[in-house]
Amino acid sequence: MTAATETPAAVTAVPRASGAAVIALARFETRRLLLRAPVLAAFAVYIGWTVWRTRTSWDGFPALQDADRATQGGPLLVGLAVLFCANHAVLRSRRHDTDRHLDVLVVQPWRRTVAHLLSVAAAALLTGVCVAGQFTWEALKPGAVGHGSPGELLAGPLSVLVLGTIGVLLARLLTSPFAAPLLIVLLFFLHTVATAPDNGHTVRWLVLTVGENTATTLPSDLLGRPAAWHALYLTGLALTAALLAVLVSGGARLRTVRAGVVGAVALTLVGAVAQGQGVSRETTEARVRASAAPEKEQKCAERDGTTYCVFPEWTVRTDDWAEAVAGVRSLAGGAARDRPLLVRQRIEARYGLDGDAAIAPATRPGQVTVGTAWGGNRVPEFTAAVAGVLVAGTEAKAGAMCDGRMVTVMWMALAGRPDPVADLRRVRLDDSDRGSAIVLSQTEPLRMTAAQTELVRELLRRPEREVAAKVKAEWAGLTAPKVTSDQVAALLGLDEPEEKDECL
Amino acid sequence: MPWRAVGAAGVLGLLLAAAPRLTGDQADGWYALTVLRASALAFALGAAFALDDPARHTTAAVPTRRAVRHGLRVLLVVPVAAVWWTAALLLVPAPVRPPVAGITVEAATALALALAGAALAVHRGDGARPGRAVAGGLLAGAVLGPLFAPGHWALFVPPDDERWAAAHDRWAVLLCAAVAVAVVCATEPRRRLGRRGLRSPSGTSGPSRA
Repeated sequence: MTAATETPAAVTAVPRASGAAVIALARFETRRLLLRAPVLAAFAVYIGWTVWRTRTSWDGFPALQDADRATQGGPLLVGLAVLFCANHAVLRSRRHDTDRHLDVLVVQPWRRTVAHLLSVAAAALLTGVCVAGQFTWEALKPGAVGHGSPGELLAGPLSVLVLGTIGVLLARLLTSPFAAPLLIVLLFFLHTVATAPDNGHTVRWLVLTVGENTATTLPSDLLGRPAAWHALYLTGLALTAALLAVLVSGGARLRTVRAGVVGAVALTLVGAVAQGQGVSRETTEARVRASAAPEKEQKCAERDGTTYCVFPEWTVRTDDWAEAVAGVRSLAGGAARDRPLLVRQRIEARYGLDGDAAIAPATRPGQVTVGTAWGGNRVPEFTAAVAGVLVAGTEAKAGAMCDGRMVTVMWMALAGRPDPVADLRRVRLDDSDRGSAIVLSQTEPLRMTAAQTELVRELLRRPEREVAAKVKAEWAGLTAPKVTSDQVAALLGLDEPEEKDECL
Repeated sequence: MPWRAVGAAGVLGLLLAAAPRLTGDQADGWYALTVLRASALAFALGAAFALDDPARHTTAAVPTRRAVRHGLRVLLVVPVAAVWWTAALLLVPAPVRPPVAGITVEAATALALALAGAALAVHRGDGARPGRAVAGGLLAGAVLGPLFAPGHWALFVPPDDERWAAAHDRWAVLLCAAVAVAVVCATEPRRRLGRRGLRSPSGTSGPSRA
C-alpha cells in the first residue's frame, strides 16, 4: 500500500531569520568575551580599585561635579582588555582555519562582524552599570553636594565601546595576531602626545578621556568642560569604527552601511570641532563674577547669630558649617561670643580648574571665608579661621597676628574637635606638633611660634571645662593686642614656655 | 621565524623613538624616557612571537633538543635587537637622552621577560603559538606595573631622580631572573605529571588537542 505523500511546499528563506541568527551569534560571542581572562582580570582590577577609592573619597564630602570625572579612569583599562579580546575573537576563525567553512553559510561575514560588535556593546553596557553604581554611591553619601553631568558619566562606557570597535575593525583590516598589542602601544603614545600641556584645546580633547590635574572644586556651571560634545564625538568615533568594520567585511554593497559611514564621520567631525572651542565667553564672565563679586550669586541663611552666604549648590552643607562655628563660639568669652559673623564662600575661578591661586583675606570685620571642600583637614582649617576672626576682628588682621593671642585662637579652634592633637598636626603645614609652623587656612595662613605650640599642647592636655572657664574669665587679657606668650601662660596658670618665641 | 611580527614591532619602535625629533624642541628628559620605554615595550611585544612555531607538534619529534631549537631562535633575535636598540638610542636627540646604561638594562629586561614568558608558555602548555597570550601578559604587566607597584620599589623613576642607580640594580635583578626562567623552561619537561599521568606525551593515546 502506497502512502500518499504530499510534496512539501517550497520554503523560501525568510529574511527575518538572519536577524535572529545574528542575535544568537551575538549572545554566544558576548558570553565568550566576558568570560575571557583579560576581560575578567580588567573588570576585577577596575571594580576592586574603584571600591577601595570610593570608600574614603573626598573625606566623605564629595562634590558630584568632581565625582563624575572620577569615573572616567577605570573604564580605560577595561576598554584595552576588550580591544585585545574582541580582536582575538574576530581572528578566531582564521586561527583555526574555519574561514572557508563559515564563508559558505547563509550568515554572511558582515553579519558575523555585527554580532562581534554587539558583544562589544554588551561589555560597554556592563561598564556603564559599574559607572552608574560608583556615581550613585557617591551621590548617596550624606555630605554630597552639587550636580553631576551626564556627558562626563557617559565618557567611560563610550571609551570602552570605541576601543572595542577599533579592535574589531583592526581584526578585519589586518589579520595578523601581533597587530592588536602594537596598536595598544601606539594608542598609549598618542594619548601621551595629545595630552602634553602645551597643546591647544582641539588636540587635547581628541583623546578618549581628558582629566584635570586639580583638587579644586568649582560650581558646576563654571567648569567650562565640553562634556556633552565630547560624548557626541566618542559616539561618532565608535559608530565610524563599527560601520567601517562592517563595510570592510563585505557590507559595502548595502546603501545603509555606506550612508551610515558618511553620517558617522560627519558626527565625529561635528563633535571634534564643537568640543575644541575652548571656554565660552558666558562661562568666563560668570567665572569673573563669581570670583570678584560673589555676593550677587549667593544665597544667605542665618543660624544662631551667624549668616552663611554660599553658592546655591552648597546650601545643604550649612548645617555642617554651623556645627563647627557653634563649637568655636561656645569656647569664646566676652563680647566675642555673641558677635555676629558672616561666613562667605569664596572661590577663585578665573583660571579654571587648573588654577591654584590664593584668595585674599577678607577685610570686613566679622567675615570668615569658607571654601568649596569640607571634611578631613578642611574642618580644623575653618575652625582656625573662625577663631582668628573672633579674636582679632578681621581675617586680614588674624593673618598678620604673631603674638600670644595665637594660643587662644588655636585652642579655641581645636578644643571642640574629637581628636585635637591629631588636628593640630593636620592643620599645620609640616604636619608637626612641636616647633614653629605655618597654620593653613582658606586665605592667608596663620603663624605659630614654638612657644605658642608648646602652650597649646599643654592646654589640650588639660580637661576642656577647666581651660574653658579660665579662658572666659581672662578673655580681655588674653585677647589684648601684643600680649606675649609668657603673659598668656601666666594668665592661664601654666608654666612659662621654654621654647623660642620668635615670629617667622 | 615570525620576522613580520618582529619587523612591524621594530618599525613601530623606531617611529616612537623618532617622535622627540619630530616634535621639535618641546621634548624634555621625561618625554624622551617615556618614548624609549614605549619603543622597548613595542620590540618586546614583537619578540614575544619569536618562539611561535605552527608545526610544533611535528617538530617536537626531531632529534634536536628543544633547548637547541629555542636557543637558535633567540640567537637570531638578539643581534637584530641590539642593532635596533642602537638605532633607537641614536634617534633620540643627545641632549634629552636618558643614561644609556640604565635604559638599556630596562629594554633588555623587557626583551628577556617576553622570551621567558614565551618559553614558559611552551614548557607548561605546549601550545603551538603562545605569542599572543605572552604579548597580552606583557602589556598587562606594563600597564598595571606602574599603577600598582609599591612606591618604595621605585622601578619607574625619572632620570634625574637620586634613586636611578638603586632602581636599575633592581631592574638588573629582574633581568637575571627572567634569563634564568628562560633557560630553565627551554628544556623539555622530564616527566609529565598531572592529568595525563603515564600516557604517551605525543598525544596519540589521549584526546587530540587543538
